[in-house]
Amino acid sequence: MHLDEEQVQRHLDRELTESAETSAREHLAACADCRRRVAEAEEEMNEVHGLLRLVDHPMPAIRAEAVAARARWHDSAWLRRAAGILLAVGIGGAVYAAPGSPVRGWVHAMVKRIGYRAEQVTPTPMRGPDSRIAGIAVDPGLKLVILFTSPQAAGEAKVSLTDGTEVVVRAPLGVATFTSGVDQLVIDNRGSLASFEIQIPRAAPWVEIRVAGGSLFLKAGAQITTNQPVEPQAPYIFPLKAPGS
Amino acid sequence: MDGPESVPCHGKAPAGLFARRREGACALPKRVPTFHDRFVELFDAHFPRLCRYLDRLSGEPDLAADVVQEAFVKLYRRGSLPDAPEAWLISVAMNLFRNVKTTRSRRRRLLTPARSEWSLSDPPPPPDEAVTAESSRRRVRLALDQLPDRERRMLLLQAEGYSYRDIAEALDLNEASVGALLARARRAFRKTYEESFGAP
Repeated sequence: MHLDEEQVQRHLDRELTESAETSAREHLAACADCRRRVAEAEEEMNEVHGLLRLVDHPMPAIRAEAVAARARWHDSAWLRRAAGILLAVGIGGAVYAAPGSPVRGWVHAMVKRIGYRAEQVTPTPMRGPDSRIAGIAVDPGLKLVILFTSPQAAGEAKVSLTDGTEVVVRAPLGVATFTSGVDQLVIDNRGSLASFEIQIPRAAPWVEIRVAGGSLFLKAGAQITTNQPVEPQAPYIFPLKAPGS
Repeated sequence: MDGPESVPCHGKAPAGLFARRREGACALPKRVPTFHDRFVELFDAHFPRLCRYLDRLSGEPDLAADVVQEAFVKLYRRGSLPDAPEAWLISVAMNLFRNVKTTRSRRRRLLTPARSEWSLSDPPPPPDEAVTAESSRRRVRLALDQLPDRERRMLLLQAEGYSYRDIAEALDLNEASVGALLARARRAFRKTYEESFGAP
């Protein structure tokens, strides 16, 4: 049995297994026809390799160390960029949050200019037995902060957990203005002495109630954190004073 | 004069102790090659081959060098060697090469739509020796360019000494038929090259 084309080529490229190579050599020793085919294929291969060398250009002198250094530089450049962005965000946040910083005003002006408008909601009478009660209902999303802008000398927040899907805040008509923004519900309660009723869905992942910047109540998942003693199943009732006052 | 072999490292010592110490010195643990060492070894072995392969494939030595460097940068950033580093490098280099060519051809189409006409209107080379060599180069280039992509790449990879396994893996072929496909590709190349002598 003669060598086929695959075997001839593998023999030339030393790609035959050891036993196949032994068999091929034995056959070649006895078969002039296959010897001629191998010789022709070898000649053709050498000729083609010689022709291919004609299109070669001088090889660039590049060292492995230089390429490795470039790869490391790539990585460190990426880290530097990430660190730079974090630093810029940190500095920006600090400047924004600094007391008396004009940046807040600029940012708000810019936000207003590019078209973002916080949803300004004046409490509208909600349907219910008492038409003097107004309120707002918002989707808690992943995170919601309910912010009372001012501590009150009197009045309280009555917080209860519900099986609903929306955070509902109710108050007597005309005592506050509600502004709903991204992740935030601002209750402008300046000068108010009224009490507010707040319903929070049990399924809401993260809801915090703050009074003048201080945290009064936090629901993170199923965990509730307050600084007030509470009774199981009872609503949470907090005076709307600034915490610590 | 005694050679370094007979010089004690730690001053005078009883013969037995010295003998033990030297024995210990000889038995230093063999250093395990790090990723960096293996990368350097792989680079030295394969950079020229891959570079020549892409140079022959494209006729653009600078592009070939850039692409192969980029492939090695990717390998280094990977932090570990793949199972078949040779085939991996060929595949990555080919992908990078294709990306560059695609981007460039898009740009070329937009910026210089008449380029192909310029190529056709190139003047014929003057008859001297340098030009004969240039003519041979052009015919080889032409023959390579006329081969189907798979045959061209096989032929060039084989010429660089890549194993059939690497060729099969890089070109997604059945390894058992690489030899026969190579033989056919070589014949096709030679035929095209010879026919080009009759071409204008």
